Amino acid sequence: MAPLRRSSTLRLTGLLCLLFLVFFSRGFASHDVVSEKSSGTIQEDSHSQANSTAHEKTFPVLSFNYEHVRTPFEISLWILLALFMKLGFHIIPTVSHIVPESCLLIFVGLLVGGIIKATGEQPPVLDSSLFFLYLLPPIILDAGYFLPMRSFTENIGTILMFAVVGTLWNVFFIGGMMYAVCQIDAAELAHVDLLSCLLFGSIISAVDPVSVLAVFEEIHINELLHILVFGESLLNDAVTVVLYHLFKEFAHEQTITVTGAILGVISFFVVSLGGVMVGVIYGIVGAFTSRFTSYSRVIEPLFVFLYSYMAYLSAEIFHLSGIMSLIACGVIMRPYVEANISHKSYTTVKYFLKMWSSVSDTLIFIFLGVSTVAGPHTWNWTFVIFTVIFCLVSRVLGVIGLTAFINKFRIVKLTKKDQFIIAYGGLRGAIAFSLGFLLDNGEIKNLFLTAIITVIFFTVFVQGMTIRPLVELLAVKKKKESKESINEEIHTQFLDHLLTGIEDICGHYGHHHWKDKLNRFNKTYVKRWLIAGERSTEPQLISFYNKMELKQAMMMVESGSAAKLPTIVSTVSIRNVQTKGAPKPSRAISKSREEEIRRLLRANLQKTRQRLRSYSRYELLNDALEDNISEARFRKQREMERRMSHYLTVPANRQETPPVRKVFFQPEHKVYTYDDSESPRGWASPSCADDVSELKETPEKPDQSSTPRANRDAELKPKEQDDQGDQLKVSRCLSDPGPNPEDDEDSTFLP
Amino acid sequence: MDQTGFSSAHLLRLYDRFECLDRDNRGYLSPNDFEAVGGLAMNPIGGRIIDAFFSSGQDTVDFSSFVRILAHFRPTDRNRNKEGTQQELPNSRTRKLKFAFQLYDLDRDGKISREELLQVLRAMLGLQVTKEQLQSIAERAIQEADLDKDDAISFDEFKKVLGFFLLQSQSLVPDRMKRIPPLRMILALTCSGVLPSLVHLSPSTETMMEVRPKSRDRIIRALQVCRT
Repeated sequence: MAPLRRSSTLRLTGLLCLLFLVFFSRGFASHDVVSEKSSGTIQEDSHSQANSTAHEKTFPVLSFNYEHVRTPFEISLWILLALFMKLGFHIIPTVSHIVPESCLLIFVGLLVGGIIKATGEQPPVLDSSLFFLYLLPPIILDAGYFLPMRSFTENIGTILMFAVVGTLWNVFFIGGMMYAVCQIDAAELAHVDLLSCLLFGSIISAVDPVSVLAVFEEIHINELLHILVFGESLLNDAVTVVLYHLFKEFAHEQTITVTGAILGVISFFVVSLGGVMVGVIYGIVGAFTSRFTSYSRVIEPLFVFLYSYMAYLSAEIFHLSGIMSLIACGVIMRPYVEANISHKSYTTVKYFLKMWSSVSDTLIFIFLGVSTVAGPHTWNWTFVIFTVIFCLVSRVLGVIGLTAFINKFRIVKLTKKDQFIIAYGGLRGAIAFSLGFLLDNGEIKNLFLTAIITVIFFTVFVQGMTIRPLVELLAVKKKKESKESINEEIHTQFLDHLLTGIEDICGHYGHHHWKDKLNRFNKTYVKRWLIAGERSTEPQLISFYNKMELKQAMMMVESGSAAKLPTIVSTVSIRNVQTKGAPKPSRAISKSREEEIRRLLRANLQKTRQRLRSYSRYELLNDALEDNISEARFRKQREMERRMSHYLTVPANRQETPPVRKVFFQPEHKVYTYDDSESPRGWASPSCADDVSELKETPEKPDQSSTPRANRDAELKPKEQDDQGDQLKVSRCLSDPGPNPEDDEDSTFLP
Repeated sequence: MDQTGFSSAHLLRLYDRFECLDRDNRGYLSPNDFEAVGGLAMNPIGGRIIDAFFSSGQDTVDFSSFVRILAHFRPTDRNRNKEGTQQELPNSRTRKLKFAFQLYDLDRDGKISREELLQVLRAMLGLQVTKEQLQSIAERAIQEADLDKDDAISFDEFKKVLGFFLLQSQSLVPDRMKRIPPLRMILALTCSGVLPSLVHLSPSTETMMEVRPKSRDRIIRALQVCRT
């Protein structure tokens, strides 16, 4: 039954995909026809108006005006196509195991382009400004914002070597060899001179971040290799930009002078460092702005995006490296912005970035396919084949040579397997195509474009498809699924301190020394300016811990809150059974106090639901209970409430008081001076732990006399506390009040 | 030298640093000399690191013990075949981890108890956090790592927790131990009162003989000390 259904869904999906393709391509192609028609009707209208002013015009009940919405409509159609393709590949699982997504997307692009061309229309080409201004930035921002800083900085030397020296080697090798090939009479390529070849080399030799991301994401390779190849693809942008502009300028003059070369070198430093500077400036401004956004939380994510985008555009104004600027901005901004913005904004930022970059890269590959069908091609067997061969050869030679040099300075050396993967992972992509497209029109341009497209296809299809089985074959280390653990964080920091100390003893100013200095500078000066409120003095370990606790609390709710309740009740009953025998001096909570606790708890749980009534368009709804939790969970919540009230009415002849949680805080016990309007991060465990320990302290003292039982109790207690605490933490967290302070709940009720 | 695995060039540098720290030229180091090192005063675990150099009870550190402790931080020789002697090398992974473990475990009972963890956390986080926060962090850390439920972290559990982390990163080996001759000059400059700049730092013994006679004697003395 099931396989039958599967195959029928597959067939249905395939049919749907085909239908969509045809529909979309007709949509793109028919706009010209429609525009003629509509302009025709407009003319007719004016005619009829001129001729027959006396006549009454019938009121058009239904009219057709496509021109009005043409551009946004087409853009939306393209994006929809991209999204459907993405969905489709995941519904058909067999294909996506063998072929990486990028290949399939190019293939789809080819299809669409073919269909458009078959209908006689001119398919749209990947416009370079469209690519560089709209499609590329989201991908780079997404990559830069979530760059794993630790491994990046540890391997920065290697990455820079590959990016700068490796790319330079590639450029000159390919350029030189292609010039030599062009000298062969049989190839009829004599018109291609040395400078053009070097220009071609500079376009084709850069490893492309989009392709690398697309392919490497699916093979889950270990972090070191991933960061090496990916970091290289990001940082070689500066080299590419400089060489491209350099050769393009000199192509007009037909010679390169010595001053030109020196200026080129200087220009390289200006471009890369300038780009980074621009990014850093925007990053700092963005971090500073986020300090004040607590007044309007809804627009916080936009600040992040806009500042980063402006950094990119500003760098592009001066022909600096936009990619490096974008990365620098994201990296600088991230720690401060994350400390300032609310949890929801953080989630928004994360998901929007992922969404945009996903759509972007799908669109890029589809357009690549379409442009292949569209563009005028000049196919020259010699040129193309030699280009492909030389690209491979230069990459391999470059990686081997550089690794031999780099390994002298590395501690964790790069093995042959690593080198192979690095060499094989040097994929070319859409950046090369767009740069080629920007060349001046001419026969050389078509020749180059054809070769570029062939190389891109070769790397994406052949290398992209075979890299996964090769990784399996060579048994390359895969990415280990490491759970975030507080232990790791503690010990990492400890080891950092240890190594800094040892370095100080040895008198050597090494990696750890500078890192320590930077951290100290950061803590004393920068954080104070860029982080709002008390968070500025919060140590990194604490924020990490809070984040983890919050994540765990959310996970517990996701897995079903009602499931947790029985354990709470049962642990209490277990404890009852155990402790009934031992005569312990008990400290019963006074009846009135218990009543108060119960009343307030119940009231607050009800209040979290009642707060949904007010509605304001510019404020986040306070009722996560309506947004996030479905009806079922809502029912569960009510049941939990009921059970808790039952639990609290069980007569208190127990030895210890249940660790009752106050749902709100006594200000004097708080570590941070948040007002309650702040995001729920950070108040999670400390204050609750505060209050509980305060309540716990008095009953605990007599307990500590008996050892084994106390241990077990202590074990049960924290778990129970954690569970209960997390429940309430979560209910608090989900009902994020936004900027409205809750005045009436701040009253302290316990002396 | 076989014990520590350092080359003679390394030893030379370490000897110079030792002399630099030993301001009164007594031939051994006392805790005051260590404390004079600038960075250690600000380091949260500076005191523990200093204590690690002084084996139990002793007040002084001579050059051989100095070198032996620093030998823990040499890069692990990855392409050594897996002989049984691998464990005894001072720079094997286990020894490195053991060293770090001992910095936590001050009473040397083989386990990091909750109090010891709390002390470390207090040292690292300073006075900005409350006792309860520290306790919850320590609680969680022990919960995560403690597999045999004895409420303390033993060395094996410690290894397991950090095992993955250390495989990936280059930590536990400060850059100091990489053989980069040009850094010699920086070292020479930072160490006041020592003028070893004429010493030529190549591992071969012939070039060692180009050294000035006075330095040469010192160096030979140092190497002899090390060999014992």
